[in-house]
Amino acid sequence: MSVKYIPVQWNRSKWVYDALMLIAVTLFLYVFLFVSPEVLSHEAPINPQVHNARAFGACAFLMLTVILCIGPLARIDRRFLPLLYNRRHFGVMTAFVAITHAGYILNWYFAFSNSDKYEALLFANTSYGQLAGFPFEAFGIFALICLLILAATSHDFWMKFLTPPVWKRIHASIYLAYVAVVAHVSLGILQDQQNHVFTVIFIGGALTVAGLHAYAAWQEDRRGDELGADQDGWIDICDASEIEEGLAKIKILPNGERVAVFRHEGKLNAISNACAHQNGPLGEGRIIDCLVTCPWHGFQYDVRNGRSPAPFTEKIPTYNLRIENGHVQVHRDANPPGTPVEPVEVPA
Amino acid sequence: MSRKDEPFFVGYLPLPAGLKGFTLFISLAVFVLFFGAGLLIGATQDAPEDTGFRFDFGRQTVTGVVELTPYPILRVTEGNDRIAPGKTMMLTAAGKSGVDMRAMGLEGQLAQISGIVLERGTIDMMQLRGGRNGISPVEGNAPAMEIEPLGRWKLAGEICDGKCLYGAMRPGRGLAHKACANLCITGDVPPVFVSTQPVEGQEFMLITGPEATRMPQEAYDFVGQFVTLEGDIERRGDLLVLQIDPATIALVDE
Repeated sequence: MSVKYIPVQWNRSKWVYDALMLIAVTLFLYVFLFVSPEVLSHEAPINPQVHNARAFGACAFLMLTVILCIGPLARIDRRFLPLLYNRRHFGVMTAFVAITHAGYILNWYFAFSNSDKYEALLFANTSYGQLAGFPFEAFGIFALICLLILAATSHDFWMKFLTPPVWKRIHASIYLAYVAVVAHVSLGILQDQQNHVFTVIFIGGALTVAGLHAYAAWQEDRRGDELGADQDGWIDICDASEIEEGLAKIKILPNGERVAVFRHEGKLNAISNACAHQNGPLGEGRIIDCLVTCPWHGFQYDVRNGRSPAPFTEKIPTYNLRIENGHVQVHRDANPPGTPVEPVEVPA
Repeated sequence: MSRKDEPFFVGYLPLPAGLKGFTLFISLAVFVLFFGAGLLIGATQDAPEDTGFRFDFGRQTVTGVVELTPYPILRVTEGNDRIAPGKTMMLTAAGKSGVDMRAMGLEGQLAQISGIVLERGTIDMMQLRGGRNGISPVEGNAPAMEIEPLGRWKLAGEICDGKCLYGAMRPGRGLAHKACANLCITGDVPPVFVSTQPVEGQEFMLITGPEATRMPQEAYDFVGQFVTLEGDIERRGDLLVLQIDPATIALVDE
């Protein structure tokens, strides 16, 4: 959380996260670039430019695969949430690795001619009407543009400027980028491979991403939040005794929004389940120092009014709440963000 | 375990004790994944063909008769220790450019060429030095050079650019290299056909269009792919020249 925009709001977790990811990427590149040629010991070695391009390209694919696995893993098992915390930095790192790959390709395959290399990239192969021989570079260009847009707009300033829903839609294009990368690799390097180890790793990676997303969606469908029953505008949540101290119960309202009912010091309050930062699930968070804390990035709100503590200015909607015959009920219409609501005492 | 007892991670607070072991395990797993993937992918790349620039030979200078197929070639008449008379050299310039403009006025004449040899098996190409240092006319009458027609053939193989195939790039063929090959061929680097079966002992042959024209536009869509095609072949010295019939080019399902 921050009251002013600075390039990176560093903390120990971010330093450790970035250091670990840098070590992983460095390990990959070092092994690929400096160890594998010794293992290969080709009579006529692969051109260094091609070797470098392959190293950075394969690394970018692996990074993107890991990034896309983090989301569903964190939904399946909350212990993976620390990987989600600083995923944006990993994404920016991926954009740099991908652009290095593109640079090697551009300055090798599309250089040394009488044409401008950027123009050559667009006109050298125009066999768009066929699958085999399709200009797979086009998919790579698309994926790179997506990654660069996501990296450039990754800062919280852009999220605030664009609003979280728009920002999230833009950043969902990471999936389009991944599909484009899959097409780029499938119609490119895979067409020429004699040794199929990379093919197996590539297909395994892509299937892991798809499989984890499908499993997480299935699990949420099976164990996910339920739609609350509507009684004259009041939505039944649960029995008051079911809500543990410091935690929340989440229900889906008729309009599709989710409400989180928290119990704090024996009293109940209802707030929107969507964090103002990135729509993180506040109801899966908990109350720390009297404040609801988002499990994704730690944004905090006073449960009684949906406001972040001063000097922060984030606000989320609150809901009116009542207890009828021991049952917690929330009014289906949200109050404007930041509206104070008197907590309701849980009956003894 | 009740949700209340689960460790709860907040980025700006110390890592909960209950998550330390799991986080350490995941960190190590990520290291192993990146190390293993780097090693497996890096160490299982296909070996490129044993081809390349022969910088170790040093600059080579020979004399011969220039022929335009229309791609320029030199039928060597006065060789040196490495390049014997009777050899036919395909010619190219530095980068992805041919030497058509420089060779145009020298057709049928004696000329001296100088440059670096690209070698693939028995087939050679020479990357000429710049300007007249690379190719220049030589006094004297050019001997008549024999061109032996070998008839019409149906072949299976791949259309490539001659320079990358001969080792300017390793690897220098296949679909991943298609755009680069197209760029070379549009830059007048001689195109080459790599046949799956040797013709008169040769797997590689210079490609032209019908009636000694440039490689036809239609052929560009098939560069880097496994195709069958028909065409007339002629022998010029130790080089075969294939005049492809573009209407016969067809993809082969591998």
